[in-house]
Amino acid sequence: MTATDDHLMTTDARLAALRHAVPSDTERSPHAYSIDGVEPAVAFSPAHAQEIAALLRAADEAGLVVVPQGGRTALNLGRPLERHDVALDTHGLARIVEYVPDDLTLTVEAGIHLDALQQTLGEHGQYLPIDPPPDDGVSIGGLLATARSGAWRGHLPAARDLLLGAVVALPSGELAGSGGRVVKNVSGYDLHRLHTGALGAFGVIVQASFKVAPLPTATRTLAVRAQTLAEAGVLALRLWNAGLAVRALSVLAPEAAERAGLDGTPTVLVELAGLDVAVDRSAEIVREAARALSRSAEEPAGAPWERLRRLHGDRAATVVRLGVPATAVAEAVEAVRAAGCRSWGHIASGAVIGHAPHLDAAVVERLRAFAAERGGFVQVEAGSRALRAAADPFGPHEVDLVRLLKVRFDARGTLNRGRWMEGV
Amino acid sequence: MLHSRHMTRPEMPTNARAAAIEALERAVGAAHVLHAPEDLIVYEYDATIDRALPDAVVFPATAEEVAAVVRAANAHDLPVVPRGSGTGLSGGAVPVKGGVVVVLTRMNRIVEVDAANRIAVVEPGVINLALQETLAPLGLTWAPDPSSQRICTIGGNVANNSGGPHTLAHGSTVNHVLGLEVVLADGRIVHLGGRVADAPGVDLRGLVVGSEGTLGIVTQATLRLVPTPRAVRTMLAIFDTIDAACEAVSAIIRGGVIPVALEMLDQEIIRAVEPRIHAGFPLDAGAVLLIEIEGLAEAVAVEAEAVIEACRASGAREVRSADTQSERDRLWEGRKSGIGAIGAVTPAFYILDGVVPRTLLPVVMRRILARSAEYGFRCANIFHAGDGNLHPNILFDPQESGAIQRVLDLGGEIMRICVDAGGSITGEHGIGLEKRSYMEWIFTPADLAAMADVRSAFDDAGRFNPCKVLPGGHGCATGHADEVARHLATPGVYI
Repeated sequence: MTATDDHLMTTDARLAALRHAVPSDTERSPHAYSIDGVEPAVAFSPAHAQEIAALLRAADEAGLVVVPQGGRTALNLGRPLERHDVALDTHGLARIVEYVPDDLTLTVEAGIHLDALQQTLGEHGQYLPIDPPPDDGVSIGGLLATARSGAWRGHLPAARDLLLGAVVALPSGELAGSGGRVVKNVSGYDLHRLHTGALGAFGVIVQASFKVAPLPTATRTLAVRAQTLAEAGVLALRLWNAGLAVRALSVLAPEAAERAGLDGTPTVLVELAGLDVAVDRSAEIVREAARALSRSAEEPAGAPWERLRRLHGDRAATVVRLGVPATAVAEAVEAVRAAGCRSWGHIASGAVIGHAPHLDAAVVERLRAFAAERGGFVQVEAGSRALRAAADPFGPHEVDLVRLLKVRFDARGTLNRGRWMEGV
Repeated sequence: MLHSRHMTRPEMPTNARAAAIEALERAVGAAHVLHAPEDLIVYEYDATIDRALPDAVVFPATAEEVAAVVRAANAHDLPVVPRGSGTGLSGGAVPVKGGVVVVLTRMNRIVEVDAANRIAVVEPGVINLALQETLAPLGLTWAPDPSSQRICTIGGNVANNSGGPHTLAHGSTVNHVLGLEVVLADGRIVHLGGRVADAPGVDLRGLVVGSEGTLGIVTQATLRLVPTPRAVRTMLAIFDTIDAACEAVSAIIRGGVIPVALEMLDQEIIRAVEPRIHAGFPLDAGAVLLIEIEGLAEAVAVEAEAVIEACRASGAREVRSADTQSERDRLWEGRKSGIGAIGAVTPAFYILDGVVPRTLLPVVMRRILARSAEYGFRCANIFHAGDGNLHPNILFDPQESGAIQRVLDLGGEIMRICVDAGGSITGEHGIGLEKRSYMEWIFTPADLAAMADVRSAFDDAGRFNPCKVLPGGHGCATGHADEVARHLATPGVYI
């Protein structure tokens, strides 16, 4: 079909063409799929990768814009969509394709949720070592497309580094794979890395292979209350360099500490993980380091990490993520706090999160300048439609190559149009 | 190594060549351009079999000069082939269609080490070991440690997404690159990624790492460093058979302990290495495993016990522990000298690189050894057993009639064995020229078309490192590997 034909088609004719291409029992009511208050014309929940590929091809030919969605936990990451004609619900693809515990490798369909996966892995004493916001309710496809990490990042790999290979449905109707299922592989281009964090710009991830890890035999969380954020920063950096068996190490401003269920003071929160002996020894080191500053390390009640994750993934609020070098984390937590946010930062990844009911675009730009001076960046992780239209959610990044890739994979802008930039 | 195979192509007209060389001399200075035939032959090969002469070799000193070289090459329609130390093991730096070889060894500055933030900024010509030596006193290391680290460059590591023994715990090069400065095929200089992980934007950094010089030329890399561990335990487990050693590898991984390195050396290798290095490998052992664990001292002790138990249960004759740094260094010296030592016991050898699921190591090794024996070749194995990354080395005499042909046939069959086991045709050496014909064994036409789309988005004219990574390509000669690939092709794509 040519572009001219496209203009001549009525909406009804386009939708009819789409319905013709996918099994009728996969159609869903569009009411449950609105994004930024915009309800799609139709919604489908295909059960097979080939059906997704066929849907994309039909939508591409009919000039309809498709928005893939899994757990629907990160739909306001990125610029507002230009259109939302077809909701593509990936939950029909929720199978574990292959799991070989003794190889520590796993292949799954993209619609499966992380919690279902962790349960299966847990039965074999293993897990996918990642803690994305807001919780394990994310789908694997969404986890990859958004590439979001939590407190473990930097101590443990990011999703893109656990990913061994993937299969992606393209607007051309093809299924294209890259990588493989073995833990080490340099054959061909790592297209699975391209799609990780691409917000569905080039294709819809339908299957992914991961390396998984043994569950730590012990975990323990300790909190140290500090006098000031600066002091918390000093302690956190000391702990980072102490060779601990550690899975998370964060600096919390008072308001974030309070929301995490802790006392409302500047806090260093550390999660130790590993063998019992390693966790015991690490806990001693943390206590000694706290004592050297005349502070004490306590095991907090409640679930502070889960609370922080949910706060990071709060779609009702405005959430920003700064990236700065480790030594600038405490200072960045202070700056984000001064901008009116609940703020906390992870030392190893340099990710500093700010959570506020609302933020002005001007504030985002000020934080962006602050981060840039330190070699870092700001990404708006959630926010109102107005904010995401006014403030670039991503800041400076290479756009010319992204446009060239978009033209190769999705020339007509069928997928998630507008999330990156106009037409992309 | 194998004897050379020359690739021939039409000569460039003299006038056109002179004009191109003049343009290149303007880009980097006449002192940094080679074009006399006797100078060019040094740059016609890397560490593999194929050879082809470039039209010119340039030695730029800055990203701007690299960009100027690329623009000059575009103006004269010449291919551009980046090169570091030339230690590649897949023919990636061989200029099969001639053109300009861009040698990046003059760009060898360590621009910055920010120890407090575990970041280093380096130029592509920095030697891996030189970086490690700079970092060691700071208590830091850059994790990728290929056996060629004494001479290979960081740029080469990035281009090939290099591994090494410690990849098992730390992952390949791509996990340790935060940002890149890259010269694109249109001569534009771009910055991908950044100084902090997970920068916003499409992850083009992760795409360029491992693209073997086909998507861009890296002119600066920002690296993520890891701290030197508090405690390290290096162990040597001795087995009567390769089979038992393979079983031990599976048992260790199954037991939930992931060592930082888990390397296997078989009897052929031991007998080549031991008389030269005196690492302490018993000459009568069927195979040894070199196992390293690191972390807090208390945990290392417990994990070492688990490893020793898994080895014993799999039939280890003995498990030794290196008690001092010098003992540890000696064991590693033995491992890292392995490939070089083979050269002393055979007129020639052909090194292979494949990956299989770890649980299938015993069965795959049995198949490889049986097939080598049927061909009448000795096969020496020294490899990263912990991540299933095999390096069979086929020993042969090139003077023997038809030997090279048969070695290549066997190499193809061994790759086929890896693919049939659900594995990959390369774990760290890359596809380059050597393995592009095998790509169709593991990827569908749609997979390869998507990869070709990426390549053309970056380099529509296909001037950057032509005839590499992807099969086919305009004007790319087909060779013996293509015949082997066709001969052994069977349906059964593994993803």
